[in-house]
Amino acid sequence: MKSKLLLSLLAITMAGAAVAQVKPEDAIKFRQSGYGFMAWNMQRIKMNVEGGNFNKEEVVKAANAIQAIANSGMGALYLPGTDKGTGWEPTRAKANIWTDKEKLGKVAMEFNKEANEMAKVAATGDAAAVGVQLGKLGGTCKGCHDDFKAKK
Amino acid sequence: MNSKRIFLWDLPTRLFHWLLGASVVAAVVTGQIGGNLIEWHGKIGILIAGLLVFRLVWGVLGSTYARFAHFFPTPAKIKAYLSGQWRGEGHNPLGALSVFGLIALLLVQVGSGLLANDDIAFTGPLADLVSREVSNRLTGVHHLLSNVLIGLVVLHVAAIAFYAHVKKQNLVKPMVTGWKDDADGESARGGGFLALLVALAIALAAIYGASGAWLPEVPPPAVGEVPTW
Repeated sequence: MKSKLLLSLLAITMAGAAVAQVKPEDAIKFRQSGYGFMAWNMQRIKMNVEGGNFNKEEVVKAANAIQAIANSGMGALYLPGTDKGTGWEPTRAKANIWTDKEKLGKVAMEFNKEANEMAKVAATGDAAAVGVQLGKLGGTCKGCHDDFKAKK
Repeated sequence: MNSKRIFLWDLPTRLFHWLLGASVVAAVVTGQIGGNLIEWHGKIGILIAGLLVFRLVWGVLGSTYARFAHFFPTPAKIKAYLSGQWRGEGHNPLGALSVFGLIALLLVQVGSGLLANDDIAFTGPLADLVSREVSNRLTGVHHLLSNVLIGLVVLHVAAIAFYAHVKKQNLVKPMVTGWKDDADGESARGGGFLALLVALAIALAAIYGASGAWLPEVPPPAVGEVPTW
């Protein structure tokens, strides 16, 4: 009993440490990498919708990749103070990410929802529906960029 | 009071004006909403490029009151206008400032937009001509200036309302019919069919240029080149 308690305490401490372990510079890099990788997959979907030869397999791969990143808990990478700093390039995260949490949570959840929906729609192989859903998904990206991403 | 009726705005100028107005409103709305409408935002931008180039040419080849030289606002003209000394038809010196301001701002908006990207899945048709870094900066400019543009358009409409209600001058009617009552000048001349053809040809060339259709196409990967993993 005692050892179980100790073990779970240890586990909790380690879990806490695991989040804290990411260095600010790395956290910014991981963020940028996540968005960059999603951008590639958005482009893949778009090319399949526009090109006239819709490849369901490609679209499913891309949609699943976006869904996985959307549900990976990237919020953990927004360490306090990382509205400044440089990952692959200087971060464009605005300071209100850490203050306007209610609105941020809302736009983030909207993105999650549409990313999950994108994966579902992709699995149907319906090109027109994929196109519509891509627009909705892109709209939720914009929803965050507009308020929380600094303009260059 | 002079009760002469003159032909003020030629048809190409009027068509340009209303098409530009509708296009700018559509561009602002589609840009703000985003999503799949961003594709339309891009297409409207290309159309606006053509309209602006048409107007620039028409400002030289068009009829009397459409010509830039006729209404170019010099400080002396503005001073005269503000003290009530200015006489003339067409764009008054303050209105001319607004015209040149709007055209210049829209040229910057079209130029930056063609090279911009939205960091999602849309890139301007000419974005490949510059580095991503430059494209990102121009995107920032494009966003910031969109607020200035909205401000100028609101000011433009407010000025029309001011002239209608306070100065009792209907500026909208001549821009619709081409004719102005109680005028203080001569009817517009020039801007014939040949001039129109030249302006249209140059505008179409601008649309082709802005569309990026002339850029080399990236060839699709050959079958078997993409690994299965």
